[in-house]
Amino acid sequence: MKKITFLFFLLAVSSLTFAQNTCATAIPITAAGTFTISTIDGTGLPATTCNYTNANVTAVEWYAYTPTQNYTVTVSSDLQENLCRDTRVRIYTGNCTTMTCVVADDDSGVLACNSGNTNSYLSKATFNAVAGQTYYIVWDNRYESTGFNFQVSEIPAGYNPCNGAVAVSAGTTTVTAIDQTNINTSCSTATLSKWYSYTPAVNANVTITSDLAVNLCKDTNVSVYSGNCTSGLTCVGSDDNSGVLACNFGNTNSYLSTYSFIASAGTTYYIVWDNKWSANGFDFQINETPIVIPITYNNQTVSTINSSYNICIVDMNGDYKDDIVGVSGNNLRVHFQGNTPGTFTVTDFPITGTSDMPSWSMAAGDYNKDGYNDLLLGSGSGLTFWRSANNGTSYTNINPSDYIFCQRTNFVDINNDGHLDAFSCHDIAPNVYYMNDGSANMNYYQSGTSGAYMLGVTASGGNYASLWTDFDNDGDLDMFISKCSGPPCELHRNDGNGVFTDISAQAGINVTPIQTWSSAIADFDNDDDMDVIITASAGTHKFFRNNKDSNTVAFTNITAGSGWDTNTATNIDNIAYDFDNDGKVDVLGGGNKIMFNQGNNSFTPVGYNAISVGAVGDLNNDGFLDIQNGSTIRYGVPNGNNWLKVTLQGIQSNRNGIGARVEIYGPWGKQIRDIRSGEGFRYMSSLNAHFGLGTSTVINQVIIKWPSGIVDTYNNVTANQPLSAVEGATLGIDAFESSVFTVYPNPVKNTINIAINTANPVEFVTAQVYDLSGRMVHQTQVANQTVTVNHIAKGTYILMLRDSNGKDYSQKFIKE
Amino acid sequence: MKKNYLQALLLVFTLTIFSSCSDNDDEESYTPVSPVVVDLTQVPYPKLSDYHFFEGDLKNLTPSLNVIPYEPASILFSDYAHKKRFVWMPEGTKATFNGDDKILELPVGAAIIKNFYYDKIQPTDTPLIIETRIMIRKVDGWIFADYVWNDDQTEAYLDLNGSYKQLTFKDDNNVVRNVNYRIPSEAQCIVCHKYKQDVGGQEVTTFIPIGIKPQNLNFNYNYGDETKNQLTKWIEQGYLENNFAFPTPEHTTINYSDATQPLEKRVRSYFDINCAHCHKETGHCDYRPLRLSFTETGGVNGHSNMGVCVPTVDMQDFDPELSNLITPSKPSQSMLFFRINTTNESYMMPLHGRSLIHDEGVALIEEWINSLQNCP
Repeated sequence: MKKITFLFFLLAVSSLTFAQNTCATAIPITAAGTFTISTIDGTGLPATTCNYTNANVTAVEWYAYTPTQNYTVTVSSDLQENLCRDTRVRIYTGNCTTMTCVVADDDSGVLACNSGNTNSYLSKATFNAVAGQTYYIVWDNRYESTGFNFQVSEIPAGYNPCNGAVAVSAGTTTVTAIDQTNINTSCSTATLSKWYSYTPAVNANVTITSDLAVNLCKDTNVSVYSGNCTSGLTCVGSDDNSGVLACNFGNTNSYLSTYSFIASAGTTYYIVWDNKWSANGFDFQINETPIVIPITYNNQTVSTINSSYNICIVDMNGDYKDDIVGVSGNNLRVHFQGNTPGTFTVTDFPITGTSDMPSWSMAAGDYNKDGYNDLLLGSGSGLTFWRSANNGTSYTNINPSDYIFCQRTNFVDINNDGHLDAFSCHDIAPNVYYMNDGSANMNYYQSGTSGAYMLGVTASGGNYASLWTDFDNDGDLDMFISKCSGPPCELHRNDGNGVFTDISAQAGINVTPIQTWSSAIADFDNDDDMDVIITASAGTHKFFRNNKDSNTVAFTNITAGSGWDTNTATNIDNIAYDFDNDGKVDVLGGGNKIMFNQGNNSFTPVGYNAISVGAVGDLNNDGFLDIQNGSTIRYGVPNGNNWLKVTLQGIQSNRNGIGARVEIYGPWGKQIRDIRSGEGFRYMSSLNAHFGLGTSTVINQVIIKWPSGIVDTYNNVTANQPLSAVEGATLGIDAFESSVFTVYPNPVKNTINIAINTANPVEFVTAQVYDLSGRMVHQTQVANQTVTVNHIAKGTYILMLRDSNGKDYSQKFIKE
Repeated sequence: MKKNYLQALLLVFTLTIFSSCSDNDDEESYTPVSPVVVDLTQVPYPKLSDYHFFEGDLKNLTPSLNVIPYEPASILFSDYAHKKRFVWMPEGTKATFNGDDKILELPVGAAIIKNFYYDKIQPTDTPLIIETRIMIRKVDGWIFADYVWNDDQTEAYLDLNGSYKQLTFKDDNNVVRNVNYRIPSEAQCIVCHKYKQDVGGQEVTTFIPIGIKPQNLNFNYNYGDETKNQLTKWIEQGYLENNFAFPTPEHTTINYSDATQPLEKRVRSYFDINCAHCHKETGHCDYRPLRLSFTETGGVNGHSNMGVCVPTVDMQDFDPELSNLITPSKPSQSMLFFRINTTNESYMMPLHGRSLIHDEGVALIEEWINSLQNCP
């Protein structure tokens, strides 16, 4: 927008001023051009009203336009040099005796007066003119008599510059001059233009730019259309001055144009340069950055997914295949995954009594350790357990009725006794949890009260999402709380002895202002520690790299340049998974897109129609994660990448291995996952650990560090399959370290004797015996510190002993 | 209600005479003494009757001497429950005026008492008092107490854990409604009755009353024996210092049910009492852009503070049409309207204090949104 343009226009004005005071003396016009009115001073007012009467009009100027062929004609005073003039025009056909109104206009111009007005007072009228017929153009002085320029432009009837668009491709194109008649669109109203067509071969982020050194001090304006020349064009966007190269006259503004858009392969786009500011030639570039769609989704609607809450994917029948869990007032509906991909068996389990509904969040885990997952439903007035009974054939509603304004809920073994406890973020008070006494009786505690763990004690609450993961790699679960209402997020370090220490400030994650309802937490850079993206529900995202060393957890804000700085989409729910199995963890949040991890801590968005955060799991057992959005399942379509799925069965640890660290090693490096019940804000997703391997099929080692401290190691694991891990299955019989007890003889024939370390006295109450595939083969009371195993088959087994405090211990033995 | 107060005051008078007659003191030198006992070392008492705020049959809520009824011009919706409010201050103490829109600073020892009841419990069409909420000003700030009435309506017992009561009642328009009435827990009391401050990086919460702003009391109230501006009454009672100018009409809230009042003022009054305790600076929801106190909705930014043409954040799970808090003349495209017109607990506003939709309030807001033509 430069004022210097004004001069060019003045020079370009060709017509001179003559008397044109009456219809009879109207100046003839026979071709398009720019015409100058010095002063409106003609006295021959038109006798015929044309939208406007002669009220307040004392003078007019007359022109007689006669086209040589049929044109669409535009008469316009909407020119830069007329800025802040106030014009009005009427156009008639007929003759000076009998005139018919064709069109009239007062303020249809778009150029706003630059003295601060937002309205234009300039005129613009378009009409279809017939060859040889005379049209009288009458400007009046309704508002002012000052002179101005006006333009008459002609577009041949049926003319469409789009049809003549020159095909171009990525690279540099030279525009010799802008010299074709333009068409009026919402993108461009300039009179002249140059049209190019561009059809990318691949999906690409495309940038069209005249911001090139060769164009210095030129002034361009560009528009991009999609659609069809005849059936209609859609304006994709325009740019005037987004270039950065300043004119070296000393101006600080660039007049060059840069426009970026996402282009689809095979779609034709029209690139139109116009003479808004200049008709001079210049060069422009088209730059393509191909977008590789990392994974596509095949969407299927399952009409029987129609519960009140369809926010949970987890295995419900102990086969480690993810099932779809629906919750309604008195009904649990499970879509059990069958052997045929995409087919489900629907089972309804009636639930009696009044249950809190998971209106805020849901979690799943086997807290009664019977081999079947139980559910945790978090509402605004408290939480409810739906506990499995009778081998998963029925569920019992257990509603403790403590008032909790639940937000994120989790199953987690807070005191690491082998039994899952339940945690709930509290919206309006310090966080709460229920401790499992070892017999699935849940006892209520609130943080900050006497004898309770310190797990978020802000008096006013504001705790939106808790995520339990091991930030300092010390083998126990720390907790991150996403917060939104003012106070910063919190990181609570588990010191292992029932003490949780708030290290938010020390870790440097206590940034304010912050508004987040959930954060995406994973090892995004595959350097063996959990990084945090505080994904915003409003405002901006913050990406923190974990700089864990041997002693501390300290994070560095690496948002700048990560792709999270330019991601303006915000969301309540944000979850971290390797959706494309390329070996790098991605994030699904807001904006109908997945932020794909490119490595080097940079993320690139890829949009998918209507995709949003939902429960995640592998619903067709193909190793690619699927997403449930209501009754729609978005099946990840295998893209050739390789994968590994690890399913866990804890023995001494909690049944699901929640809190276990799963590490996999290969020529590509190391990847880690923590088993979590409840991440993001609302949804419950698979308890299986999913890894992508990219093009590699080599997994040298899988190491599972169980919450109990037991470490299982699998060497040379085959890719593209589930690895079923039973706690302790890979250990030798003497590899269990227990300061509490030993068993003998081992191997054993009939009776296992238990020797308890007198320094750590415990009383064992019950014993369970598992085979190495995790099947429980024997359950009995411990009598006289012996366990009878005479009836079980020869083989290697894991013995689990439960003490009188409900804590579990395990030991491997051989039966002969 | 007004009749009841008349009876109440008559009863007080009668009791006063009765006690003076039964007293052996010289009648001419006799000064009636309020029976109210608020021992700050002992409160909250286990029973409502322990305070002696009321005389005679407890359920009549007949105020004792120096227990003064009051009412805000604009009333919080609480699932159609009716309320009777009273204030009491120790003899010789009075409240301080801090501004038209500031909560009156009540003296240490003061108590405000709010009884929640329904007039027509079904099927008997009989009244039932549910709870009596009391705030007491101790030396280091306000405390909360909530007394839950027994079914016999003879006593109410301290319970700050919160509970539910399933009720069927007729509202003022004789519409029969069911409610799972929520008696709040202390944590819920705090959500609204507080303001937050940042003190050295730590959030410090201070508990406060809500309704007793001068601009909300500045109207004539029928005390039975007289009708008088409540601020005047408080001054005459010795409950309020007399060193301030009463709020001008412009700075005074109104009864939002009064259809003779200007629509916008009704809406601002409605927002003030129903929303502003959270949606104000230092309130529970001050991280959101809404600023709904009567003062904040009145200035040049008033409409922006009320959310007119303010984009909604956190659109997850919502209809994209709800992308503005208020879209002029489009209630169906206004997130605020959606939230007050639902009982889905994930979406509803207010989050606390109601489980029913306030039909009349929703209609008021709808009328107002429809009346809006432009963005601010």
